[in-house]
Amino acid sequence: MSTYVYGITASSHPKPPKDMTGVGDPPRPLRILEEGELAALVSDAPEGLRPKRRDLLAHQNVLAETGAAGCVLPMRFGSVAPDDTTVTGVLAEHADHYKERLLALDGKTEYNVKAIHQEEAVLHRVMSENPEIRALTEANRAADGGSHEQRLRLGEMVVAAVKAREAEDAVEVRRALEPNAAAVSVGPDSTGWLANVSFLVDRDTADVFLAAAEEVRKGHPHLELRLHGPLPPYSFVEPGAAEPAGTTGAFGTVVEMGAPPSERS
Amino acid sequence: MTVVPAQQTGGGGGTSGLYDVLELVLDRGLVIDAFVRVSLVGIEILKIDVRVVVASVDTYLRFAEACNRLDLEAGPRKSPGLPDVVGQITESGARGKSKGALSGAAETISDAFKQARGEGESESRPRARKSTAARRKEEQE
Repeated sequence: MSTYVYGITASSHPKPPKDMTGVGDPPRPLRILEEGELAALVSDAPEGLRPKRRDLLAHQNVLAETGAAGCVLPMRFGSVAPDDTTVTGVLAEHADHYKERLLALDGKTEYNVKAIHQEEAVLHRVMSENPEIRALTEANRAADGGSHEQRLRLGEMVVAAVKAREAEDAVEVRRALEPNAAAVSVGPDSTGWLANVSFLVDRDTADVFLAAAEEVRKGHPHLELRLHGPLPPYSFVEPGAAEPAGTTGAFGTVVEMGAPPSERS
Repeated sequence: MTVVPAQQTGGGGGTSGLYDVLELVLDRGLVIDAFVRVSLVGIEILKIDVRVVVASVDTYLRFAEACNRLDLEAGPRKSPGLPDVVGQITESGARGKSKGALSGAAETISDAFKQARGEGESESRPRARKSTAARRKEEQE
């Protein structure tokens, strides 16, 4: 029977409720595997596990609920070990690294911020800032929309201005929020957001971070800001010694700020 | 289109916030070599590609048209945007707890997962007016 792994925590971590369950249908009971000062949150892995809504939520729920009681390093969804012994073996082998990460992330939580432009609002903004675009728009409008070439020219200018605004806003969002975060992880650019940034935030000062996010929202009415958290610190578990080099780049970069230097094994 | 306030993602694990955090659950988090990962082939994550402004003739024409329709006299606040923009949200305050709110995304996620179950289909058209694209999320390794 293979073993589904949700996360890694300290063996001193408060035990989750006995009836807590995880992935699978019927949901498999959550178990704890202890190895020295570490423990893994696991369950039996159901046959034919797929990334279905129910199982994604089960994974997320186990991490959210156990994470509320103390630091848990979240596994990526769908991590399955051949057996329990393999899990405890990994805990033993990389104990120092996991302990360091647990210490670094203790009392902290992840907030993910995604931002996009509200099209009409950003067009207004771009136009108000750029007399040339405004003049061209008015000329085209007077000419019943303008010729194909005129439209292309206007569109090209607008697109360039909007893209420049996207880049500026991405920087502004990050700059406004990072002073209230212990670390920042920038997500991949290609997911369709002008900004997709995760912040590692101290639970005790989360209010300050949220207030700053609210300020950004108020100060950028043309931006749509989506804030999610508190989340398990998915973006801050950092590639461990066990992760092959080169896989980190695809998921963005992690910048530690003000955190003690990590002792990498 | 209904506006569904997202539940706090930290506690009960609401489903409405799942779409936005899906990328974190599937793409981030600890990866350990000694473990295998469930195959993600077959999961269709709908990305709303209109959010990325791409330089193309179509985009130029679309933006030129949008400018023509824009009321230049109205301030940006006066006209907060298209009423059916996917995911247009209003978040009222963040008092202690975060409230991520989504609208279209809540439907989109269920579409995405329905599709993941369907597996055969490679494209779907959500009700949203914006153009959307189904993008196959392949396993990373």
